Amino acid sequence: MKGSYRQADDSELVKASVNGDRLAFSEIVERYRRMVARTVKGMLGDSVFSEDIGQEVFIKLYHSLSDFRGEARLSTYIQKIAINLTLNEIKRRKRFFSMFSQDGENELYEHEIPDPENEQKRDATELVSKALAGLEPKFRIIVTMRMLQGYSTKETAEILNLPLGTVLSRLSRAQEQLKEILGKL
Amino acid sequence: MEPSGIKDLIIRSLGENAGDGSITGRLEEEGVTFDFGRDFTQKVVDRIFSVSSELVAEKELFRSMRFVFNRVALTGVAAILILLFSIFMAEGSFSLNSFLGIGDSVDESIVCLLTGI
Repeated sequence: MKGSYRQADDSELVKASVNGDRLAFSEIVERYRRMVARTVKGMLGDSVFSEDIGQEVFIKLYHSLSDFRGEARLSTYIQKIAINLTLNEIKRRKRFFSMFSQDGENELYEHEIPDPENEQKRDATELVSKALAGLEPKFRIIVTMRMLQGYSTKETAEILNLPLGTVLSRLSRAQEQLKEILGKL
Repeated sequence: MEPSGIKDLIIRSLGENAGDGSITGRLEEEGVTFDFGRDFTQKVVDRIFSVSSELVAEKELFRSMRFVFNRVALTGVAAILILLFSIFMAEGSFSLNSFLGIGDSVDESIVCLLTGI
């Protein structure tokens, strides 16, 4: 099996990773890194700090793999870890910036220096990042789940452990806020 | 796609019927992608497995120390019991003098030895 994990399903990868198989865990990281990046960067912005949080997500996953019973999908399990760590980071930054600045909210979201090689892609991603940056964190997480991850409202509610009605009302308010923000961009 | 088209997609992605991931796919096609650096996987794996191997070495050390300690402790307890038994057999009691090996008769012999009488 070693060396041919591309075809392996998630449960096989989990089993091998629990036994300390480095290649199997690399395949898990490779498979879900973009999903984690969408959540973390969607919530925190595109910066080196987001990459640190991304690494923490997979380190935490590795240490909790033996507790993973396979009742939920591995992607959902990883997604929940990513959301928890990202929300913790937002809280941490909020506390930190509130000590130094009156307007801490704007400093919670960071932008990386854009890559000049691909202007069109850069513009599209930057537009989305700017739109997300203008949202309150509680709306931003819902928009990230819907827009960047493509989850349905029901799935979003399950992952975020929120009532469906709360997700629907936040989505509607987020949509209004986004229209306003995008109108200015 | 023009920025206005992307803005439209963003708004539509939050609509009630947009939860099937199709708009997310279209946004990706337009270049809305998020990923970590090229060596992200390697960094993660290195961080996990270098720490793991340190932990394994640490655990191995503790295990061997515990094994050695158990052996030494058992032998020590056995030696103490034999010593107590032999003291009791020789002196007939567990008094402080018998532990220190100085019975009443010993006092006199020390005095004789020191005074030369």
